[in-house]
Amino acid sequence: MKLQNIWFVVLACKVNLYILEYSIKYIFRDKYKNIFIVIVMSLLVALLAATLFISNSMKAKYNSIIDNYPDIVITNQKALRDSTIDENEIDKVLTLKGVTSVVARVWGHYYFLNADKKFLILGRDEFETYFNPLLNQKMNINKESMLVSKDVKKILNDNYYKKYFNFIKSDGMIEKVKIQNTLDLDTSVKNPLLIIMNKDLAKNIFQYKNSEVTDLAVSVANKNEIAFIATKIKILFPNARITIKDDLRVHYENIYNLRSGFFLTIFIITFFTFFIIIYDKVSGLNSEQRQEIGILKALGWRVSDVLNAKLYEGSIISLLSYILGISFALIYVYVFNAPYLKDMFLNNYNLLPDFKIAFTMDYETLALLFFLSVPIYIAATIIPSWRVATLEADEVMR
Amino acid sequence: MTLTPEILTIYILDGLFLFFATIAFILSIVIIKDWDFNATTKLQYSLEKKSYLTSTIIKYMFYIKLPFFLFFIFTLDNISLILPGAMCGAGVVNSNEYATILMFLKLINLYLFAYWILLDAQDMKQEEQPYLKQKFFIFIGLYILLVLEISLEYSMFSSIDVKDVVDCCGAIFSTNDNTYLSKALSLSPWVLLGVFYMNFAFLILSAIYKHPYIFAILNLFFILISLLSLVAFFGTYIYELPTHHCPFCLLQYEYDYIGYFLYGVLFVGTFNGLVVGFIPFTEIEIIQKYKISLFFNFIYLVTVTLYPVLYYLNNGVLL
Amino acid sequence: MIKLLNVSKIYDKNVIALDDVSLTFQEGELVVLKGVSGSGKSTILSLIGGLVKPTSGEVLVDNKKISKIPDHFVSSFRQKNIGFIFQKYNLISMLSVAENILLPLAPLNLSRLEHKERLAKVLGLFSIEDKRDVVVKNLSGGQQQRVAIARANINSPKIILADEPTANLDEKLSIEFIEILKELKSQNRTIIVATHDPLFFELDFVDRVIEVKNAKIVL
Repeated sequence: MKLQNIWFVVLACKVNLYILEYSIKYIFRDKYKNIFIVIVMSLLVALLAATLFISNSMKAKYNSIIDNYPDIVITNQKALRDSTIDENEIDKVLTLKGVTSVVARVWGHYYFLNADKKFLILGRDEFETYFNPLLNQKMNINKESMLVSKDVKKILNDNYYKKYFNFIKSDGMIEKVKIQNTLDLDTSVKNPLLIIMNKDLAKNIFQYKNSEVTDLAVSVANKNEIAFIATKIKILFPNARITIKDDLRVHYENIYNLRSGFFLTIFIITFFTFFIIIYDKVSGLNSEQRQEIGILKALGWRVSDVLNAKLYEGSIISLLSYILGISFALIYVYVFNAPYLKDMFLNNYNLLPDFKIAFTMDYETLALLFFLSVPIYIAATIIPSWRVATLEADEVMR
Repeated sequence: MTLTPEILTIYILDGLFLFFATIAFILSIVIIKDWDFNATTKLQYSLEKKSYLTSTIIKYMFYIKLPFFLFFIFTLDNISLILPGAMCGAGVVNSNEYATILMFLKLINLYLFAYWILLDAQDMKQEEQPYLKQKFFIFIGLYILLVLEISLEYSMFSSIDVKDVVDCCGAIFSTNDNTYLSKALSLSPWVLLGVFYMNFAFLILSAIYKHPYIFAILNLFFILISLLSLVAFFGTYIYELPTHHCPFCLLQYEYDYIGYFLYGVLFVGTFNGLVVGFIPFTEIEIIQKYKISLFFNFIYLVTVTLYPVLYYLNNGVLL
Repeated sequence: MIKLLNVSKIYDKNVIALDDVSLTFQEGELVVLKGVSGSGKSTILSLIGGLVKPTSGEVLVDNKKISKIPDHFVSSFRQKNIGFIFQKYNLISMLSVAENILLPLAPLNLSRLEHKERLAKVLGLFSIEDKRDVVVKNLSGGQQQRVAIARANINSPKIILADEPTANLDEKLSIEFIEILKELKSQNRTIIVATHDPLFFELDFVDRVIEVKNAKIVL
């Protein structure tokens, strides 16, 4: 079966190859105008594609970071402000069906006045398993020492703390902690000013009393039940703030969607302007072109043939622009790491500026870009093409 | 109200469709009002030209709507990621009252638009253009359905609330509740299979004996029994899980996107079958349509049968 | 057989191109429409070819009322039955000879083989085989005229309509054209030539000369 026949069989629609040939040659005959249109449209598509690609990559990255978060976090609140929670409450949580483990976490921030910087301190216990793989690595931390990230080390060095650091506790007392080692961190980790120390030491520095801990991290067996178990926990801890991993995911998803939605809106405005321009260009035929249509009709081309020729023309140009636009965007984002555009996404988020955008390919994004470019372009050409196709042959030949 | 780029795209294209469909709608009314085939006035010639525009617009919409419908399903699947509890499109569809009607309406509209295009092609083959007024009347109906579809779509997307916990397809398509769906799903597989294969056998018979109306009605039944048997029986072999009855999950990556192939083939087969009952074709054309319909329905049948057969051959037992 | 029955054509701005004209052309006739520019002879050709519809009256070709059927079908009809030869050739100058000649066949969606065969035949008939792939704008006037004639013949039409075919040709080429016309007549085509070139008025193989003046037929 010829290819055309299959298409016809499926949907009463035959692609006439000869008219297609004519359209292709017609495109080449009007080179400059068409090259202009293709370039402009490709750039528009590329801009939008780049925005979406960056957004997708960041989402993917963020999702993988969130994967390392606990399923549920229980943070106690007093007067609706975050407060500490009693370690012994773990037993209450363990009674719930579906909960596999609960970890009492100790972590917080420390403000180093001289450098005007905030350090993130994570407390760690040798025998506990955490969600964050960073903490699960084999590390031997001395009870009086700490591990610091490279950036913290640098800051401490600059402030003449080479082998230890003096934490100033809330009661004014000083806790001297030795710097045992430097941590090797993945550069895209959220907060590079990181310090890891023994849990009890951290408790000391934060001046937690007895069984106070920062929050409880709950692990749930069946991920689909997280929301359900969270509601049960809410009943057990009416004063607590319950954070679900999925919520975080949704939260960031929405933020990225908003960002890309914003660009999309700008894009639409630009595109509609372009729509009008295309409409204008396609409508404006010079007398030679009008005469050509007249000739075709005199030779026996029907209105539908001329219309098809014009529509094929539009389809080819828009498809070509789409493909080129995607290609430009792919190169811009994944090869050159999207200079300028990337910063528009990054300002509020704590990822490092030299974040390398990882390659993720999402077919849905490609489909989305297709639907935003090709059908819209073709739509812009429908009425002008129809006008052209219904020109009276006689008029144009006089 | 969530506004992902996908949903925004859907809104944009819906807006475009609405714009052009309205033009076609106005033109249809004008044409029906003043069309006089025998007139040789300027008005009549301009109406002729306008009828070309209308049919072009409708064709354009259909050819975009077809892949766009797939995109819509993709989007539903996508939303299921932010909707807690939903694991595939089924959860999203079930999460609000608009969604199920919307799905059906979209499918029906696809069939109807395709029918219109075929009717138009038939009309254009004959000089007197016998179906002209008829086809524009039909388009007026289509326009109303299209507007309905777009408003439903807007309502549905704007009422998706990410704070609601929804059921996943396991709950929706379970055999335990007291809904019609669960009763249908718990019918004995032999009954379902029997009806399914027999339906196809009758299709062949009615084609051999050339009864276009019966053929069309049988195709209608075939759509129903195919979907039912797919969800109740064949689907479980695709998922290799006796309780997984979801029609949406077939469209996902894990199952090689087989859903798109199956539904596509089913659409082509049954569409060509249905259409012989509604459009007066010539003898040759009807035979061609019989062949196409039987061919695609057969492919559907074979593909869907392969799954339990292969499962049995690989595992020695049935689910 | 071609019939014009009480045909009038009025263009915009009340330009009367034809006023109540009735004509009949028999099959196989070679008729010359004589008249100056603007007399209405070109309009007669356009009407017969279905390029325009009359303001009043009917145009029948082989008992088909082409003035009444929709444009879609008129075009199909024209495609099968009519070959046009224009004064300015009306070739697409940037395309090759072959591409120009094959243009009328595009809507039919025939096989490539069919295209090749017909092209070869028609190139041979008008002695332009060697110019097959030359871009039209690089041809001389006479050669372009032959390409135009070839194009008009690719469908083997029953009716050939020529509008001032020799207006842009010198005497030698005009005579060549007339020879081709003679050849076409011998194939029993109906040929109507609208011209004010006196070379046509005294030809022995012309069946009739009809004078058109001021939108009317001069009897």
